[in-house]
Amino acid sequence: MASGIILAKPQTEEDPPYNHPQYKSTALRGPNRSPLIIRPGLTELHGPVFGESRIRPNDNDLTAQHPGEPIGEKIVVSGQLMDSDGRPIRNQLVEIWQANSCGRYAHALDDHPAPLDPNFTGGGRTMTDNEGRYRFTTIKPAAYPWGNHPNAWRPAHIHFSLYGTAFTQRLITQMYFPGDPLIDSDPIANSIRDKKVLARLVSAFDWDLTIPGTALGYRWDIVLGGSNPTPEAI
Amino acid sequence: MNGTKMGVTPSQTIGPFFKFGTEWMASEDIVSQGASGAIVLQGTVYDGAGDPVPDAMLEVWQADQVGKFPPDTTEGWTGFARRLTDADGRYVIRTVKPGRVPDATGELQAPHIAMVVFARGLLKPVFTRVYFSDESDANASDPLLAELEDSQARSTLLAALEDGRYRFDIRLQESSRGPETQFFAFGE
Ligand SMILES: [Fe+2]
Repeated sequence: MASGIILAKPQTEEDPPYNHPQYKSTALRGPNRSPLIIRPGLTELHGPVFGESRIRPNDNDLTAQHPGEPIGEKIVVSGQLMDSDGRPIRNQLVEIWQANSCGRYAHALDDHPAPLDPNFTGGGRTMTDNEGRYRFTTIKPAAYPWGNHPNAWRPAHIHFSLYGTAFTQRLITQMYFPGDPLIDSDPIANSIRDKKVLARLVSAFDWDLTIPGTALGYRWDIVLGGSNPTPEAI
Repeated sequence: MNGTKMGVTPSQTIGPFFKFGTEWMASEDIVSQGASGAIVLQGTVYDGAGDPVPDAMLEVWQADQVGKFPPDTTEGWTGFARRLTDADGRYVIRTVKPGRVPDATGELQAPHIAMVVFARGLLKPVFTRVYFSDESDANASDPLLAELEDSQARSTLLAALEDGRYRFDIRLQESSRGPETQFFAFGE
């Protein structure tokens, strides 16, 4: 059979591998067989559409979800969601979650003995605007230790969940902060072998995003790869 | 556009502590109980030791019963569901069997649901397809299933009908639970 569905090359070879021994949890969870590279079908070329109605006020302001102010350094994180042709991905859902300013997650299984903040949960969501822009107000997360290897620390990061216009574009990743000395020794960040590609996960300090007297600002643009045909092409 | 491709943002693991950020959307079904043609799709995610994975997040995406996608679908149809696996690594989704839709070359495919799974230990997600074991005629003419010469790999894509529910387990690696699920990556 030569239907043309099986392809030789994936859409991107810049993603990390499934098996990365330095990150211990990959050993039993990363598939051992290479995925079969296929041309997406009509289902995978479409993707979910989320209405504005799912978003509540303050979903994009993680400092305003509780009666009191959270402790920590208030920051704005903002950027543009695009496809690899630079076209904005409009009116699409962006979700984030993160540790608090002490490096502790509001998760029952996080046993890092840093304090929880009753005024900070650390989950946020928003819709991109007509230019594909998103904006969150939050608290700068701290680094936290983990059990991967002796004296292992994750660099400060914010988890991001993203959708494009096609299911093939689905992405979950982590945004890092500029100048963080922990990035170089982090097995998760360094599962991306090409430093230039890893640099795409590091946000940039941006004066234009700061709120004088209130918050510093970080800019982080996100580019989704994958098949992203124009609606006419489907 | 101008032919210059932007550098694509690479994947990182979802990590272990995503529940408080993602569960808000993880209980919606695709159709409600009693809806015409409603089916239940359920299964367990297993690791390479054959142990259930209690901290996976999976999402499904599909056409409606006549093979349409939003905005060409009826009011309220999303075609999408997200689940966080429970302590036993299980998920349950109420949906309908999707209609048949064409592949990239225009050939009609057997009914199937697209699935993506995220977990701690997965630096990038795994994508697969859920086909239905009771669609043998359609499956026999499906262009992708036809390409899978390894019948064991092919069998991992078929949801089995058990007690009126479709069971689709995801095995991240081969184990006592069975062969590694056939995963896909996409090209263009
Ligand atoms: Fe994290």
